[in-house]
Amino acid sequence: MSGSGKGILKGLGITLKHFIETYTVDRKEGKNRYFTEEGILSRRTPDTKGVFTVQYPEEKAPLPEAFRYIPFLVYDVGEDGNRDIRCTSCGICAKVCPPQCIWITRRTDEETGKPMKEPSQFMIDVDICMNCGLCAEYCPFEAIRMDHDYEIANVDRMKHHIFDLEKLLKPASYYKAIRPVQVEREEAEKREKEAKKEAARAAAAAAKAKKDAENNS
Amino acid sequence: MAMDEINKAGVTIPPELQGQIAITTLDKIYNWSRSNSLWPMMFGLACCAIEMIITAASRYDFSRFGMEVMRPSPRQADIMIVSGTVTKKMVPQIVRLYNQMSEPRYVLAMGACASGGGPFKEGYNVVSGIDKFIPVDIYIPGCPPTPQALLHGLIIMQKKIERQKLSDADWYKKDVDNEIPVPILGPDLIDPRKYALIKEQTHKPAFQVVEEVQNGDE
Repeated sequence: MSGSGKGILKGLGITLKHFIETYTVDRKEGKNRYFTEEGILSRRTPDTKGVFTVQYPEEKAPLPEAFRYIPFLVYDVGEDGNRDIRCTSCGICAKVCPPQCIWITRRTDEETGKPMKEPSQFMIDVDICMNCGLCAEYCPFEAIRMDHDYEIANVDRMKHHIFDLEKLLKPASYYKAIRPVQVEREEAEKREKEAKKEAARAAAAAAKAKKDAENNS
Repeated sequence: MAMDEINKAGVTIPPELQGQIAITTLDKIYNWSRSNSLWPMMFGLACCAIEMIITAASRYDFSRFGMEVMRPSPRQADIMIVSGTVTKKMVPQIVRLYNQMSEPRYVLAMGACASGGGPFKEGYNVVSGIDKFIPVDIYIPGCPPTPQALLHGLIIMQKKIERQKLSDADWYKKDVDNEIPVPILGPDLIDPRKYALIKEQTHKPAFQVVEEVQNGDE
């Protein structure tokens, strides 16, 4: 029968259940629910009961891997410990950026004056950035990626929020730590590409050998 | 615990009196109480307002920092959270609300649009950052900032307040007028005082305008 208000009662019942469970679970588990490693982990599961507050500065809500905030630049650590910046300053990210918040200057060789494949300046105005992730999506060198760090509020926009190369550069190990699944996928794609290339090369070599054999006979 | 935080006046307390007296400076106790009772003004502008609402709700709950009462009146508010895109039509109202807030007052620019215009920074109807009009204390990047990012911004705000000094506070000085003139922006913002003129111009038949332009050229 419609109009009997059953639906409302059912909905309110769910709210009431949450309300009661908030107390019963808190009484049962006590303070272990907050501030302890197990408590935070148990609250991450989908079958958590009751409502709770994330006690923000002490504990932080878990971030999904695909969470994106401000972009950062990935660098590999070379064998002799120096930074090997992946960015080649091709400028694709600056072109696709919808709010146009990326500025890149290409480095030129001091002796020959020829442009080099690395940036001398890379700036992102994080107060313009809209966290869309298009730069990371389009980057062909896996050089620019979206960060998880959201604690960057500050008092002066011009002094603190125009991120330069030093502020943007983060090691590849950090990238792997925050986005393990994505790194795994990218590496698998790279391996597949390599394998395809290798197969094509082998096939070409075989065809050539066959042709040579036919010509000789 | 709170006692330990404010009791740092640089005076050593004799051991027999420890835990019985507290020596502090007026600045510290004044800022401690002020920074822990920041009342935000309740107004939202765009999508960032949704995140602000979540921050106020039970999951993140900024009443834990003494911000529980969002005041709908600027007279009772301490901090203005500019949460979202500021259109040119909204700027006069925001500046007027800022003028109506009582000192000490703070402004927090939440999100890309309020801080620097964001994706609309060169838009015809959006101002590129509220800081062009009113002094902003904290900028929070993000589009929109997550509730935790907003909480982080508010904590930075509290820290900033704790560093202020009564002796050089603007709002206790004489002859300091912080009133900001309410802006009337460019030709693309409709000025209510010129409705008659705008109506006269826009209601002219097109050929008449063409004639006027041609006559003007001669």
